[in-house]
Amino acid sequence: MNKTGIFVGIIVIAVVVGTATAMSMMSSETLNIETGRTHGTVSTEMGSPILGDPSAPITIVEFGDYQCHQCYNWFHNTRPAIFDEYIDTGKANLVFVDLAFLGRDSPVAAQATYCAEDQQMYWEYHDILYNSQESQIDGGWASSERLKAFAFNLGLDTELFDSCLDSGKYSKRVQYNSEQARNHGVRGTPGFILVGTDDQKQLGGAQPFTVFKQILDTLA
Amino acid sequence: MIAALRMVFSNPKYLVLSVAIFSLMMVGLLILSEYIFLEPYLVSHLPSGTEFGFVLIVILSALSALVLPMNVFRISILKRSSQKVSGGIFGSIVGAAAGACSCGPIGFAVISTFGSVGATTTAFLTNYELPIRIVAIGILAITYFTTVRSLKTECKLDFKR
Repeated sequence: MNKTGIFVGIIVIAVVVGTATAMSMMSSETLNIETGRTHGTVSTEMGSPILGDPSAPITIVEFGDYQCHQCYNWFHNTRPAIFDEYIDTGKANLVFVDLAFLGRDSPVAAQATYCAEDQQMYWEYHDILYNSQESQIDGGWASSERLKAFAFNLGLDTELFDSCLDSGKYSKRVQYNSEQARNHGVRGTPGFILVGTDDQKQLGGAQPFTVFKQILDTLA
Repeated sequence: MIAALRMVFSNPKYLVLSVAIFSLMMVGLLILSEYIFLEPYLVSHLPSGTEFGFVLIVILSALSALVLPMNVFRISILKRSSQKVSGGIFGSIVGAAAGACSCGPIGFAVISTFGSVGATTTAFLTNYELPIRIVAIGILAITYFTTVRSLKTECKLDFKR
């Protein structure tokens, strides 16, 4: 009888502790979610701030990794023309969603962008990462120390930034974004979902501007 | 050297094999390295800063298309050992593997399937993409010259018999 009582007691305690742990994890994840922002079928609530006119009829959702060479190619070769023709003119806006999978420095670099967002410098920090990318994955250019140095160079409050990065405050946000990419069948970086008012199209790879133009014009 | 090439490629079978190897390797590597996209429609693209990689792919494909049929010729016509063809195949595979950029669908699939081992492998292939391709070209070039030399020798010996 006593043995049965102890056994039942252990099970009850295990269930209570397990439930409490699960609830605390769920509540901390829920706290990070902003307002349920979506673009087409993609939940972009945990992604970047919107770049360009938020009411633009087209949204370009980019899934990327800061250590990805093809993302670097797209950033330098295709993105400028898209900016000139679509984003600066209010025809489209852009949201970046992390698919941080290439190396151990990738998720940390993605987290660093959100620490910069805390100081309203998300896009400036995003740009500095793609301008500073080096050829070696996990070669040290996106190490924690370098990420902090980038923040210093941008004039961010380094104490705030460093504590944010060291705490891993945005690790779940980055994980959530990577899950979004996987759920939408994104199979590499950069990957894109171009969302119009009635339709959305998926595009893979660092494709040239002409391809983007053709799709964006059909979505307008 | 030209005599050896003429001897092998005068047979249309080896010429067709060579063209097939060149086309398959070239198109395959250009797709893997994102110089060619098949979706949403066929488009080619040479981003600035990636020209050297493109040239290496062309050289790699051309050398594979030369070396592999010559060694198949050695084995099937002259009944020689298959040692040299393995050098050619090894060079081709090493060069092709280097083109599988870890950003692309293949790299993503490898990392998703094999976890940290896959990530380390694809990171290595990406980090050392150009040096690996140069080494592969070196292996193929050595195989090419030794094959030409042995074709000359073996054909002379056969002729004397």
